[in-house]
Amino acid sequence: MGRLARGDREALAPLMERHHRRLYRLALSYLRDPDEALDAVQEVFVKAYQNAARWDGGAEVGPWLTRIAVNHSIDRYRRGRRRLAAETPLDEESGDHDPRLSADAPSPERRLLGREVGERIASALRGLPERQREVFVLRHYDEMTLEDIARTLELSLGTVKSSLHRAVHRMRERLEGLR
Amino acid sequence: MSPLFHHRWRQRTSLLALGALAGDEAAAAQAHAEGCPACAEDLARLRRTLELAALDPLRRAEPPLGMPALLARVNACLDAAAETKAGQAWRTGWLVPAGALAAGLTAFFMFRPASTPRAPATPVIVAERPVAVPEEMLGRMERSVTREQTARYLDEAQDLLLTVTAPRPCARQTRRVDVGQEAERSRDLLARRAMLVGTGGEDVASVRPVLRDVEYVLREVASLPSCARERDLQAIQREVSRRNLLMKIDLMTRELKG
Repeated sequence: MGRLARGDREALAPLMERHHRRLYRLALSYLRDPDEALDAVQEVFVKAYQNAARWDGGAEVGPWLTRIAVNHSIDRYRRGRRRLAAETPLDEESGDHDPRLSADAPSPERRLLGREVGERIASALRGLPERQREVFVLRHYDEMTLEDIARTLELSLGTVKSSLHRAVHRMRERLEGLR
Repeated sequence: MSPLFHHRWRQRTSLLALGALAGDEAAAAQAHAEGCPACAEDLARLRRTLELAALDPLRRAEPPLGMPALLARVNACLDAAAETKAGQAWRTGWLVPAGALAAGLTAFFMFRPASTPRAPATPVIVAERPVAVPEEMLGRMERSVTREQTARYLDEAQDLLLTVTAPRPCARQTRRVDVGQEAERSRDLLARRAMLVGTGGEDVASVRPVLRDVEYVLREVASLPSCARERDLQAIQREVSRRNLLMKIDLMTRELKG
C-alpha cells in the first residue's frame, strides 16, 4: 500500500492477486450478476489506487478494501434496483444463471437445486435490512470473524452479533420449505 | 429461565450455527443447547438453513476474467481518469486567461474616447470571474463521448466477428486456421471495453446485454492460439449466430448513434 500511495502502479498486481477473488464473491453476493460484480471489483481497485494516499498506514488493507467493496456494491445494487424496477424483476434476471458461476461440475439435480437456492437466497437477502445484509454477507460469503466484521463496518461487536442473529433467523424463515 | 436470559442464549445459538463462536463460548452454547429442547430445535433448524444457503453457487464462483485481464481493465480506467483530469486542468487553465481577455476587451470598448467612431457591435463575453463550464454541460459532453466510443467499439467488434467467420488456412499446420491477428485485435478491444465501463457504464445501460455478449465472444477469440482448430472457430461462429450478435450490434450501434 505504501508503494501504491507513492503512485507505483506495479504494486496493484500483488494487491489484486491477493484480494480480487474474495472481493468478487462479496460483490457477487450483493449484485447476483457476474459482470456487475466484476465492474464493482474493478472500481474498488481504481478507488484503492486513487485513495491510497489517504490510507492509514497502520490499518490492515483487507478490511479497508472490503469496506470499499461493500459501499460500491450497495451503491450499484441501489442503482440496479432502480433500473430493474423499470425493466425486469431481479428474480427473472438471476434465473438465467451464468454457467461460469459454478466452479465444479455438479449433477443436473444439484445444479437445479443450486439455482433454485440461488434465486431464493437472492430474494431473501433483498428482504433483509441493509445492516443485517452486510453482516450476513461478510460472515456467510467472506467467512469473516465477528471482530473483523465489526472493524470493517465500524460497528460494535454487540451490534454485529445481534444483527447477525436477526439476519440468520430471517433467512431461515424465507428459506424454510425449500427442501 | 427468564425470557431475556433465554434470548441471549438464542443469539449465541445463532452464532454457534454460523460457526462464529470459538473455544469456551462455543462449548458453553453447545452445552446449553443440549439441555434446552427449544434451543436444540432452533440450532438444528438454523444449521439446515445454513447448509442450504451454502449450496448457493455464488459462494464458489470464480471471476469471469483472469487477473491479467482485470489488471488491464483497472489500468485502462486509471489512464482514462488521468486523461480526463488532465483535460479538465487544461480547460480550467484556458478559461482563466480567456475570461481575463474578455474582461479586458470589454473595458477597452467601454472606456475608449467618445469621438472614435463606434465599431460595429461585436458580441463580447463579459467575465469578471473565471468562466466555469457548467457541470451539467460537461456531463452531457462526457455522455455523448461515451456513446460514440461505445458505438465505435461495437462497430469494430462486428468487423472482427465478420472477419473471424472467413478465416485463412494456417500455413504452419494442416486442418487449422490462422486467427493470430483476430486474437490480437480481440485483446485490444477487450482493453478498450474496460474504459467504457469506467467512464460511463450507466450511460450505456441499454446496450449492456449486447456489450456482455460481445465481451464473451471476444474473450473466446482472444484465447485462441494463432493456429486454431477449425472446430473451435466453428463453435465461436455458432455462438455468434445463436446470440444473433451481428444483428444486435447493428441495432445497438444505430441506437447509440441516434
